[in-house]
Order: sequence, then structure tokens, then C-alpha cells
Amino acid sequence: MSDLGFSFSLSQLWQVAGGQIILIIAGLVLIFVDLWLSRDEKTDHVVTMGWLTALSFLAALWYMTGPGWRLNEIVLVEVFSAEKFGLFVSAIVLMAGIFASLLSIGYLRNNQLGRSEYFILLVFAVYGTIAMVQSVDLLMMFIALEVMSLSVYVLAAFLKDDRKSQEGALKYFLLGSFGSAFFLFGVALLYGLTGTVNITKIAQLLAMGPLLENPGVLVALAMLMAGLFFKMALVPFHMWTPDVYEGSPAIITGFMATAVKAGAFGIFIKLLSVAFTPMLAYSGQPEFQSTVNLAAFAAYWKPLLWWLALITMFVGNLIAVSQRNVKRMLAYSSIAHAGYMVLGILAANDEGRMGVLFYLFAYTLMNMGAFGVLYILDGQEGKAQTLEDYHGLGFKYPTLSFLMSLFLVSMAGLPPTAGFIGKFYLFAAAIKEGYLLLAALGILTCVIGVYYYLRVIWMLYMVEPSHEVVAGRVGVISMVALIAAALGIMYFGILPDGLAQVANVAQQSLALVF
Amino acid sequence: MNAPILTYVTFLPLLGVLAILFIPQRSEAGKNAIRWVSMVISTLVFIVSLRLYFDFDPEVAGFQFIEKYSWIPSYGITYFMGLDGLAFWLVLLTTFLTPLTILSTWTAITKRVKEFQVAMLVLETAMLGTFVALDLFLFYVFWEIMLIPMWLIIGVWGGERRIYAAIKFFLFTAVGSFLMLVCIIGLVYFHNQQTGELTFNLLSLYNTDLVRIYEILFFGAFALAFAIKVPMFPFHTWLPDAHVEAPTAGSVILAGILLKMGTYGFFRFAMPLFPEGSAFFAPLIIVLSIIGIIYGAMVAMVQPDIKKLVAYSSVSHLGYCMIGLYVLNRHGVEGSILQMINHGISTGALFLLVGVVYERRHTRMISEYGGICRPMPIYASIFFLITLSSVGFPTTNGFIGEFLILLGVFEVNKAAAVLAATGVVLGAIYMFWMFQRVFYGRISNPKNEKLKDLNFRELAYLLPLVAMVFWIGLYPNFFLSKMHSSVDHFISQVKISSPASPVAVVEHHASVDKTPLDKSAAKE
Repeated sequence: MSDLGFSFSLSQLWQVAGGQIILIIAGLVLIFVDLWLSRDEKTDHVVTMGWLTALSFLAALWYMTGPGWRLNEIVLVEVFSAEKFGLFVSAIVLMAGIFASLLSIGYLRNNQLGRSEYFILLVFAVYGTIAMVQSVDLLMMFIALEVMSLSVYVLAAFLKDDRKSQEGALKYFLLGSFGSAFFLFGVALLYGLTGTVNITKIAQLLAMGPLLENPGVLVALAMLMAGLFFKMALVPFHMWTPDVYEGSPAIITGFMATAVKAGAFGIFIKLLSVAFTPMLAYSGQPEFQSTVNLAAFAAYWKPLLWWLALITMFVGNLIAVSQRNVKRMLAYSSIAHAGYMVLGILAANDEGRMGVLFYLFAYTLMNMGAFGVLYILDGQEGKAQTLEDYHGLGFKYPTLSFLMSLFLVSMAGLPPTAGFIGKFYLFAAAIKEGYLLLAALGILTCVIGVYYYLRVIWMLYMVEPSHEVVAGRVGVISMVALIAAALGIMYFGILPDGLAQVANVAQQSLALVF
Repeated sequence: MNAPILTYVTFLPLLGVLAILFIPQRSEAGKNAIRWVSMVISTLVFIVSLRLYFDFDPEVAGFQFIEKYSWIPSYGITYFMGLDGLAFWLVLLTTFLTPLTILSTWTAITKRVKEFQVAMLVLETAMLGTFVALDLFLFYVFWEIMLIPMWLIIGVWGGERRIYAAIKFFLFTAVGSFLMLVCIIGLVYFHNQQTGELTFNLLSLYNTDLVRIYEILFFGAFALAFAIKVPMFPFHTWLPDAHVEAPTAGSVILAGILLKMGTYGFFRFAMPLFPEGSAFFAPLIIVLSIIGIIYGAMVAMVQPDIKKLVAYSSVSHLGYCMIGLYVLNRHGVEGSILQMINHGISTGALFLLVGVVYERRHTRMISEYGGICRPMPIYASIFFLITLSSVGFPTTNGFIGEFLILLGVFEVNKAAAVLAATGVVLGAIYMFWMFQRVFYGRISNPKNEKLKDLNFRELAYLLPLVAMVFWIGLYPNFFLSKMHSSVDHFISQVKISSPASPVAVVEHHASVDKTPLDKSAAKE
């Protein structure tokens, strides 16, 4: 680290931010590809654009898990860091992106939506999320957050003729801006107090001691957390979620619930464990000997997260029970899932961070899968989303229903699925830190979850069809994507250790962001 | 011994699943092919599991046929299987009952045959896995997997109120077992704090010393999970619903094997892991068992529905198993284990028998029948033999089990023994009364006049059960002799908390070996 704050070379930039660069270039190229393709036959171009998007995500994924992953030193341009934690979260986001783009091909076709700006927005949404996760500079973090948010706002409003979509998007935009403003206010406060927006420098300044006494830092932390809780959709910052998730195109809902959430959880963990908590103390840096002071910080946010986790799990699960619309039910359930993941953050130990990463990975697979099946059964957006529509579909569409059941069983956290293992890691982490009561209460909310997830399955298999429901066309690509997700869920449910160890390496790398 | 026989036995049914998936079920021939594959595979599992009998060493107190591989090393989770004298019999019971049950579905399940047989075979794997797992995590995984096929069997192929019954079954079990998972993890971390070893290995966890309050809490959670499954009074309310709504095969498996998982759980996990907690709750559990015995019998008496009657009789019978387990002497515990097997055989047979007339008449109401021993003499005879077994008539298996348990209870507490013994009397009342109303008298309903007697297939799955009834009833030592060392080991594990116990156990040995029953059994 030079005193000037900048030591910059192109090769270094590529090393750190290669994945992002690939995505920016891909996004720009896609705009031109879209222009070149003639306007009147656009529906078919959905396939081309979809594949190109998926390929560019794949390229970025290759870079981040290949050359990027092998970097021995975490090269820093003061703005971005390429530690394995960020790479892992980015990989989850890219995976969500790949699923989203492949499933979108069928989705857009079934809904006769041939506008390919959809994919360009998707690329930039993914880019924004990744840039956010990889940044160590609060300002950059904010900009990336906005890149992501703006793209997703537009995507949420993509069903132009659907009032629900418009309403949801407007709500999302207004409340999201509100959340972003909180985040920005927190950044400004921190800058005012410390004179820097770089989280590693903030960490060093905080570790010196005097600032810890300053209530302004706490206010700043509270602001940052409030901003992120909006994106993470924790109760009571969840009010926008059901409407937005219900109104948005199904695949975008899936994307928001996984990629955007993964990004928000990613930087929340990063902020906490780099700037505000004692994790640094384990890295052996001489500046961070004053563990005691830093631990004092945890005394502020831990009780807060304790209650947030509990309320989020309860509210998310309880309200999901009363939903008749499957999409809306999944929205509420995604709130509950966020609550489970807060357990891992609250535990603030290796197992907890690893658990969150594992859970995000598993959740991405099962959630994208569930929304993928949902859009196919739907036929056209909103036509067959209620529980009544699902009556007796199990034997009419055996493959789709089986896949749906598998995804839901995984979300319910029953073995032998990745969802069960993920939940096990999260609860184990919390129990290890002595949160036995919270874990016990949380696991009871899982029982509620079991009820409404199984309800969908029994609608599929145990009830006679009440009216004719015709599912949409099942594209080969969508089917391949869904089966891949299902296999992933089974594989990581039976042999989770490989992924868990990678996730563990990833979370340990947070201690090295200096 | 070297071959991983437990893995073979456990996962062989999945092979059948794979085969079945590729058979189309559009035609009747396809359906029959699916049934035959399912039948052949489950019979094969039984034959393979018989191998266990020849290799099982009754002298060993610990576990045999051990298989241990690393599974999730970062959490110390292993793929760890083994058998002792209890699990051994329960595995054999499972592999024995499953093909018979599958044979009973030939005409009972005609819709969605493929899905049904897949569910049955997956269920068999999960049940076997639950009995052989010695790693708490592995056990929990099998325990939970088991719920899903059972839920589907009740919910898809069940009666009118099947969905309500199915989800009630699922949620009751889930509440208990989810809390158990929290406590498993808690126990593992306490063990980790004490020894620095992170492991889910049951045998290591047996040695964990917990603070009293945690012993009580954790035992409470484990006991809740298992008590729901047993089911002990007042957690039994899911059972009548599930039994009545489930198809015959579902009821047989549910009563025959799934309920045993509750008592097995107490034997294997709850009691030896938390002896102090167990001692704390023992009076409550004994009282609840006695209530269950009497209450189950009295409620069974007034049921108009044969199946519900049998379901409530299960509550009563399982009460015996629990009390036998809790008196912690050799008679009680062995009687309890034997009673588990007995209950699997006789109640399984009763459900199968009810299924036989249900298929013919599509009703299970006692009032719809009457005098049917004339059109169905063979059926009536078999039903009578099984009834004798259920009420504990001497020379049948039920007698041995109940006698041993009552003997065990008597050694500990005479009042409890007297109260529990009333269950035997009540059992005779409700079973014989039901038998009388269904089979004797004049044929009150003209629909019953032309009922067909048992056909060959039905005899094929009922006669083995009748044979077992008398095998156990006349030569119980064949079964008991395999349990002695495991049971003694269990008693010493659970009693270890009270200081005088080692001596007591030794004395106990001496006294038990000279009991009249053992002698008479040896003579035969």
C-alpha cells in the first residue's frame, strides 16, 4: 500500500477485476448485438441474446474461479479486492445469472416478450452485484449498489402491461432509494469521522480505540446496516418484498431473491468482519491487537441481529402460510431464508460465515429452480400461480412436479438435499456460539416452513384437479437448467464437504483483506 | 463379515427403485412388472439380511458389522453403521415385513402403482438406515427421509381425510425431530468443549458428561421426538388419524416398523446418552406409559371402526414397550424388545387382515359385518390366531412379551405392575368383543353372504406372520438369546449414573439367569 493511495497498473486491474471487466465488455457488446439484429424478428433473438448472456456469465465465472481464485496475494487497487470471499459470492451471483438467462429464454418466449434489453439489464445487474461485493471502498460499494439496483428496478417493471409489475417496481424503486439513501448517509458519516471511505483504513482507525467511543460510528454502522437490511429483506425492512416479488417477472423474482440477496449478504459480512468486528484480530496484524475494543462493537450489533433473526424467521414463515399465491408465498419464504442466514452472521465464527456462503449457494440453486418450474406451470405470467391452480398437476406434469417438489423439499430443509445441509451449518454455527434458545425457536419456525412447502406438494399430488391448467411450453434449455439445479441440490445434499471446504477457504480470506 | 453387508441391505431397495423407474405403467402388464420387481427386490433384501443372522455373535455386547467411513470430515460426521441385539431384530423385522406388505398391495393399490412401489422401497431404505446408523447425523438424515415417502403413502393413496392425516403425521414428527436436531448439535459441541473432538459418533458421545440442566433439556427434546413416534399418551393423537386414512400397506409399515423407531430411539439414543435426564423423567414416562396402556385399551373398546380399534390398541401395546424399557431390568427390557417385534407381527397382521375385508366390502365398520366366519372360514381362523397373539394368549408371542414386561415391572414396582396388567384384561375384552361382533352370530348384512375367502396370494402373506406368532410364542429363547448381552450393556449404560449401580447390575445378572422362564424356554 503506497501512501498516495494508488499504485495502479492495467495488469493489476485485470487481475483483481477481471470478472467485472468481462461483464462490462459483454454488456456493451450485447447492446450492439441487439442493434445489429433486425427489429422485426426479435422474438427469435431472445435465444441468441440469452445464450450470449449466459456465455458471458460463464466467462466471468471461469475467470473468477480459475485465474482469479489462484491469485496468491490479494491485489488491491484501493477500490477493489480479489479475496476469495468476494469471488465466492460473485460465483454465486454469476450462477444465479446463468440460471436466470437460460430460464429467461423460455420465459420471454412464453410471455411473448421479445425485448432483448432484458438481457442487457441482467448483465449490468450482475455486474453491479459483483462490483459491490468486490469493493473495499464504500463509495464504490454504493455506486455498484446503485448500478445493481437501477438495473433490477427496470427488470422488475418489465411486464409493461401488468399493473402488479408496475406497482411492485415503483414500490421497489421508492423504498430501495430510501434504503440506498440510508447507506449513503452512513458512508458520509463514516467519512466525516474517519476521513476515508476505504473499509480497511476505517478498520485500522477504529482499532486505534478513540473512535470506538464515538457514538457517531455506531450511528454510521446502524445506517449502513439499515441500507443493507432493505436489500436483504429482513423484517422490519421487508415491506416491499412481497409486492415486488409477486409483480416482477418470475425469473427476475428468482434472481432478486438469490443474486441480489447474495450480494447484500456478501457486503454485510464483509463490512462486519473487515471493518467492525474482531475477525481481523486473528489475522496477526499488529494494528489489531486491541481485540477487546473491537469485541465491544459486537455487543452492539449482536443483540440487534439476535432479535432481527428471530423476527425475520417468524414473520417470514408465518405470513407465508396464509398466502394462496405460490409466487407470493415464495417471496415471504425468502424473507424467512434471510432470517436463517442471519443466524450465521450472528454466530460470527468460521462455521457461520461458511454456512452463509453454503446456504446462499444452495438457496440459489433451489430458488432459481422453483421459479423456473413456476414460470413453466404458469403458462403466461400470473395465469396459474395460486394453490388451486396446482391441484392435481403432479400426475399431469410428472417431471416438472417432481422437480418442484425437490426444490421445495430442499427449501423446507429436509434431507438429503443441500437445503438441509445449509440449514444444518447455519444452526450448528449459532449453537456453537451458545445461541441454543434462538436456534430452538428458529427451528420451530422451520416446522411452519415445512407446512407451507409441503402444502404445494400436496396440492400437486394429493388433490384432484379442480380446473384445467395448461402449462407453458417447456424449452429444452429450461429443462436442462432445472435438472442441473436439481442434481446440484442432491449432490451437495449428499456430499457437501467439498463445497463447504471451498466456502471455508473463502470466508477465511476475509482476514487477509489488507 | 468383511463385506459391507449393512450397506447392501440398506441400499438394495434403491436398486429396485432404479429398475422400477424404467418400467412404463400404462398397461396392466407394466403394473404387474412393477409389482413383481418391487416384490423380488424386497425379498432379496430379506434373504441378504438373513445372512446377518448367521454372522451375528450373541456374545458381543457392543456393535457388530461395523462400517465406518468419513463422510463430512470437517464436522466429524461419519458414515457409521452397526448392529446390536435390538437393531438386529428390528432390521430383520423390517426386511421380513416389507415384502409381505408389498404382496398385499397387488389389488389394493391399482392407481399410480409405480409411484407407490417407489415410495415403499425408498421407505424401506430409510427405515433400515435409521436402525443401523450409529452416527447421529446419519441417523437424523435417515429419520427425516423416512417421513417423506410415508407422508406420500398416506396422502396420495389414503382415504377421505388423507391430507389432514398425512400432514398431521408429518408436522407432529417434524416438531419433535427438528428440536432433536438442535439438541444433537448442542450435544456435539458440549462434547467438543470437553474433549476437543468434534464428532457425531454415537459411541463417543455416550461418554459426554453434561451439566444436569442440559441432560434434562436434551433428554426432553430427544424424548419428545421419540415419544411422538412411539406414540406415548398425550402425543398419540396423530396415530389414529394416520392409521385410519393410510392404505393398508401404509398402516402395516407404520404400525409394524415406524412406531418401533420411537422405542428404538429411547433405547439407542435418549436413555444412554442422557442417563441423568432419563432418570429425571422416568417417573413421568412410567406414569404416561400406564395411562397409555389403559387409555389406549379403553378407547379401542368403543371404536366402531376396526382399523381405529387396532390403531388404539397400538397405543396400548407400545405403552408396554415403554414401561418395559424403563424398569431397567433384564426382564423388562427384553420383554420390551420382544414386544416390539410382537407388535410388528401381530398388529401388522391385523392391519393386513382388515385390509382383506376392506378390499371386498370397502368398509371397516364393525356394524357392517357379523357372522362372516361362515363365508370366510380360513380368514376367520387366521384372524382368531392373530387375535390370540394380540391379547397375549399363552403359546403366542404376545404372551411372552407381556409376561416378561410385567415380570420386570413387578420386580420394581408392584402397583405399576398391577395397573399395567389391567391392560391385558382390557385387551382381551376389546379384541374378543370385536371378534365376536365381526365373525359370530347371524349374517346381518346380506352383502356379506357371498364374501370370498382368502385366496392364495393373501394366504402367502398371512401365513408367514402366523408362523412367526407361534415361533416366538413357543421358542422365545431363539430370539431372547441374541439380546442378552446387548440388553445388559444397555442397562449398565443407563444405570451408570447412580453410584451403586455396577454391583446392582452384577447381582441382577446372577438372578436373571435363573429365572423359570429361561429354563422352560431352554427345555423346549
